[in-house]
Amino acid sequence: MSEAKPTRRHHLGYGRWTPFWFLAPAVFALLVVGIYPTLFALATSFRRYNITRRSDMLDGFPFIGFDNYLTVLSDRTFWDSLLLTGQFYLTVVPIQIVLGMAIALMLHRPGWGFLRTLTRVSLVVPLATTYAVVGLIGRLIFNRDFGVANQFMGWVGISSSDWLGNPTGAFIAIVVMDIWQWTPFVALIFLAGLSMVPVDIEEAARLETKSHWALLRYVQLPYLLPGLTAVLILRSADVLKLFDMVFVMTRGGPGAATDLVSIYVQRVGFKVFDLGLASAQAVMLLVLTIVLSRIYIRIFYREIEA
Amino acid sequence: MKKQLTSILGACALAASMLGPITSPVQAEWDIAKAAAPFKGEQINVIFLDRPGYRAIIKLLPEFEKKTGIKVNYEIAPYENTREKQVLNFNAKGDLTLALVDLVWIGEFAENGWIEPIEKLSADAAITDPGLNLKGFFPLLLDAFGSWGGKVYGLPFDNYSGLLFYNQCQLKEAGFDKPPATWAELKDVYAPKLTIADKKQYGYALQSLRGETQSCDSFMRVLWPFGGSLLDKNFKSNLLSPQSQAGLKFRQDLAKSMPPGIVSYDHSEAVNALAQGQVSMITEWSAFYGTLTDPATSKLGDCLAVAPEPAGPAGRLPALGGFSLAVASQATEAQKKASWIFIQWATSEEIARPYVEAGGVSGRMSIYEQPDIKAKYKFVEPMVASWQKGVPEFRPRFPAWPAISEVIAEWGTKMQLNEVTTEEGAKQISTRMEDILKKEGYYDGKKELRQ
Repeated sequence: MSEAKPTRRHHLGYGRWTPFWFLAPAVFALLVVGIYPTLFALATSFRRYNITRRSDMLDGFPFIGFDNYLTVLSDRTFWDSLLLTGQFYLTVVPIQIVLGMAIALMLHRPGWGFLRTLTRVSLVVPLATTYAVVGLIGRLIFNRDFGVANQFMGWVGISSSDWLGNPTGAFIAIVVMDIWQWTPFVALIFLAGLSMVPVDIEEAARLETKSHWALLRYVQLPYLLPGLTAVLILRSADVLKLFDMVFVMTRGGPGAATDLVSIYVQRVGFKVFDLGLASAQAVMLLVLTIVLSRIYIRIFYREIEA
Repeated sequence: MKKQLTSILGACALAASMLGPITSPVQAEWDIAKAAAPFKGEQINVIFLDRPGYRAIIKLLPEFEKKTGIKVNYEIAPYENTREKQVLNFNAKGDLTLALVDLVWIGEFAENGWIEPIEKLSADAAITDPGLNLKGFFPLLLDAFGSWGGKVYGLPFDNYSGLLFYNQCQLKEAGFDKPPATWAELKDVYAPKLTIADKKQYGYALQSLRGETQSCDSFMRVLWPFGGSLLDKNFKSNLLSPQSQAGLKFRQDLAKSMPPGIVSYDHSEAVNALAQGQVSMITEWSAFYGTLTDPATSKLGDCLAVAPEPAGPAGRLPALGGFSLAVASQATEAQKKASWIFIQWATSEEIARPYVEAGGVSGRMSIYEQPDIKAKYKFVEPMVASWQKGVPEFRPRFPAWPAISEVIAEWGTKMQLNEVTTEEGAKQISTRMEDILKKEGYYDGKKELRQ
């Protein structure tokens, strides 16, 4: 009697299915939290979809093609707020990169023991602070009467200023608070990049040159570029959706001095409740983020050869 | 004998039934516990604000819950989020059984069918207080806060009038023994004398932060007293009219006597500036009386005095604001009835005294006729005077207001910052506002011109 040949079975609990089960929770979460809302926003952007208008509801939120997109393209306020967001980005990100790099280089130096550990831990504090709380702190710091910003200015002989009451002051105030919150993030990313530099290569380079600049430019920088790309991508996306901190500090004012695009989109979406138009704006910002990300990757990202 | 007794009893019963509507104990005496008995254990849900009127009713809630067995769940939200939360809740058929309706939301809530006209509930005698007495509310409040399209939807609950709060000690020092009666007097006579910029002392502060504070408290406040208005009778912009421009230019001129950076002042900053003696006069909601009299938040003490807002060339037309409570259409029938019982209680003449004493401002006329209330609360007389005459459409109450308010908030602030002239700002607002109204269907006859 011959032995029965074992049949090849694909058990759903293991084998080829194992990676699927490991990935499933993450994929499911992504579908629910990320993909579905994005697709819903995309569908909404092609509809007249104001949830406070009975006529829209009775018409079943009708399909209107690209009307919402055309409205966005011809909306001067949208472009003004996008331009302002660009100015904000171009102001904060270079400063954060320079400061972040400086902090990372200092923390990368040998020595300082406990102080270095303490500094690394304290870098997480601004990151862990909720945006709205950062806004509240900002309101206190830049208060005309009892804010510490005016106190510091008084110490160096500069007369006090009404930061949040004038357009330039308000813009500077939100810039400062964003730099305070996000410079530690940039520093930690760069610090991670610096820790990737092989010790023997770095030590050899230090024997070759005493120039810190040369060491940074030719040895360390290549290891920092992937981190820099990540910083640029993440900060682009973040600035385009920066809302809470600015809203708490200025509500987009005075005038339109701090009316970043996210504040405007929120206003259209949750004050006017024109979800169709707000979705079109959000989709356009998503496209902008993707385009910027591709550009950053093309320009800055380099694989490091082992 | 038995037959005779039956006839007499029958006659008595007939007589009683005929007199019923007049003398029936059910109608003569409202027993809230009896009315609420079928709804014992019912939970009703509402959003409250972190303001004195809500803190007052929260203090009194245990009494209502004990009497009725109805549980009132409330969530305290910032004003800026309240409409958003309610709109989303109503669209999602959520759990709110009551709507907190700001004066400017009544049109939107009513037209969308999110709130019930009270006639649907008041027709049921078993759940309606015979002493409901709608005529006991200040007519202006009931009309402005609770009515839309000739129907009453909500009963005035948290009621405000714009008042002139001032530091009478500073005014006396400057040689004034009474508050300014007109806006012109405030700007030309009082404010210059009270302003000493070097000492950071200012005559007047007008809260003007971007948002509803800018559009309602600052921008609209200077239109009406000068004879201006936002819209004309055809719903076209009236902002370029000489009267509206006079009001807006007045605000620009008055800025000389205000603290710098007034566009960053919300209610709290303006009230605090008066409370700490940095400004001598503010025009604020009556609800802030409690903050200004509380020694923990104010240094004013006996220096605080209250008067009606100054009059303009068109008369005294002070800012009008406040909230009504309405029954949400999405609630179950039992919740609707329980909510209606709660609304009647919270706005009743019976609860008016404890409500006022707990820090609320009732919309009932009778409470302000009480001598001890008049004597104890300085704001009562000017507030009652302000409610005798006013414009319900101080801010238009149609559904388009939130969108228009955002436009005014942006360009109104730009005017104050001198980034644009009042004419240019008015043009910008007019163009955008008329565009919004056109889309709403006001210009092609699709919608009735109602504000």
